[in-house]
Amino acid sequence: VQSRVPLVLVYSRSGPYAALARAALDGALAALAEVNNAGFDFRLSPEICDPAGATDRYEIMLDAALRRSGARQVVGGITSWSRKEMLPVIERHRALLWYGCPYEGFEAHDRVVYLGASPNQHIVPLLAHVLSRYGGRAYLVGSNYIWAWETNRIARELIADHGGQVVGERYVPLGSTDIAHIIDEIRRHKPDFVLNNLIGPSSYAFLAASRELANTDPDFAPARRPVISCNLTECELNEIGEAGIGHLSISAYFDSLPTDENQVFLARMQASGVRRPVSAFFVGAYISVRILAEAIRETGTDDPEVILPIVTSRRHQTPLGDLHIDPATNHAALTPHLGRLAAEGRFEIIESAAAPIVADPYLSHRIPTSNRPASHHRAVCALRIVQ
Amino acid sequence: MTSRFRTPNFRGTTALVLHREGAATDAVLRQLERLGVIATQIWPTIPQDHAAVDFVFFDADRGYDEQFPWGGDAAPMPLIAMLGTEAPGRIEWMLSRGADAQLLKPVGSAGVFAALVVAGHAFQRRQELAREIDDMRSRLARRPHVAFAILHLMEREGLDRHAALRRLRQLAMSGQRTIEDAADALLTATGGQDVVARAG
Repeated sequence: VQSRVPLVLVYSRSGPYAALARAALDGALAALAEVNNAGFDFRLSPEICDPAGATDRYEIMLDAALRRSGARQVVGGITSWSRKEMLPVIERHRALLWYGCPYEGFEAHDRVVYLGASPNQHIVPLLAHVLSRYGGRAYLVGSNYIWAWETNRIARELIADHGGQVVGERYVPLGSTDIAHIIDEIRRHKPDFVLNNLIGPSSYAFLAASRELANTDPDFAPARRPVISCNLTECELNEIGEAGIGHLSISAYFDSLPTDENQVFLARMQASGVRRPVSAFFVGAYISVRILAEAIRETGTDDPEVILPIVTSRRHQTPLGDLHIDPATNHAALTPHLGRLAAEGRFEIIESAAAPIVADPYLSHRIPTSNRPASHHRAVCALRIVQ
Repeated sequence: MTSRFRTPNFRGTTALVLHREGAATDAVLRQLERLGVIATQIWPTIPQDHAAVDFVFFDADRGYDEQFPWGGDAAPMPLIAMLGTEAPGRIEWMLSRGADAQLLKPVGSAGVFAALVVAGHAFQRRQELAREIDDMRSRLARRPHVAFAILHLMEREGLDRHAALRRLRQLAMSGQRTIEDAADALLTATGGQDVVARAG
């Protein structure tokens, strides 16, 4: 007789970041289906919470779901605000949260497994690439919440450290599509690149307007002045359409990764009816459920006190390749890939780090570039071309 | 050229955790390790000859004055109080030791990074203010010297009091020093001490 292991999934299928959450939920459910058909001696029994993008619902809904189901494992959250809302509930129930999205770092919770990129795996290598190729005059734009504030703050310091200059920095309310004033400023300042930390509809509107600007003035073509991003993935390309083509994004996963692990994974997904392309959000949630299930299989329990030491001491075979979770921070070592958005929703991978980069959530290993002149070049060289 | 990367970074700094072994100490040590801080637990006292450290965490619940090799609030580094009880007497004692930041017990997965940033900032601000106050006190104590210097200029050069003050200010400005330093220099250089002596 198979035992049932309850698992709570927390994703907002509506609201400003619904596209990311739907992708993540699809990834979690795809993994769940695989696990439940794998002939293990247990079945994962999901309970789905949908706070609909309302930050203050996360705590209440998760608390109720954990009480109802008796679950001790939770996969979910897209924004940092939602994660911070869930942490007290996770602590109270002595549960474990699996968080699979890129985020701004400066956290290492004992009851969270972080499988998405932190700043030394996204903004740091992204700027290392862009500053040396496009120039140091940057324009920063973001949605008015912690992801953008913090990612832009780190960017400001990296740009200043490089000798560059931030020519403008603007924030728009979550969900707002009123960005004409930002495009005006960009037209006036002609930055070498724009760092886009907008999310959802704001980002789609911004990319559409940037495309229009490039169409009227070739000086703003993406090849010359790209829009760069740390969280633009395939799961939003339906909303973005052609407008994003030519712009740059950095991610631990792209559907177009040519590795064997990814090809096998994609074939499996395609066979089970998953729509391509899949994205880092899909894969982040997928590997969360898979790694958890393997640990339950190995230990015969879903007790976080047993599961956590196991998952941080094993190497996991994932679509991202061989993956290790650092027991000191509970963060995954990840390989950043730099993608240029091409036609038909594909990211053309133009550079990849030579090896997985250990997460440094507090950026405490960063060596200031101007104090150690060679280190910047080392960071650039660490990204080698795979295609 | 110094780095313009300003994100607080504590890697390679040192800390003492003056607290009994247990969950709170473990949690603090674990967070410090993540930040790259080289930390040591110690109890019950910090020996007089202990090597200098960059930060000290101390138990505000069960701590007492004799644990510290320095008196009162004269700690030569930022202090972070680990506070479980909110009994006013303990808070008062914590303040008397000059805590720059506090960390509430039970300690979980977070709080140490913010406490280090806040304590470092408060300590630096405190040091700057102390220097500023010392400077002000010294200048205040030498105010009579300014008056003597003006008297001296009036007597020696036949200036009225306004012109004498203007001259003294010019001397201070051209020498890029305070008016008190300029007054002292003038009195020393021109044998104006007799004015001081007569006034005294």
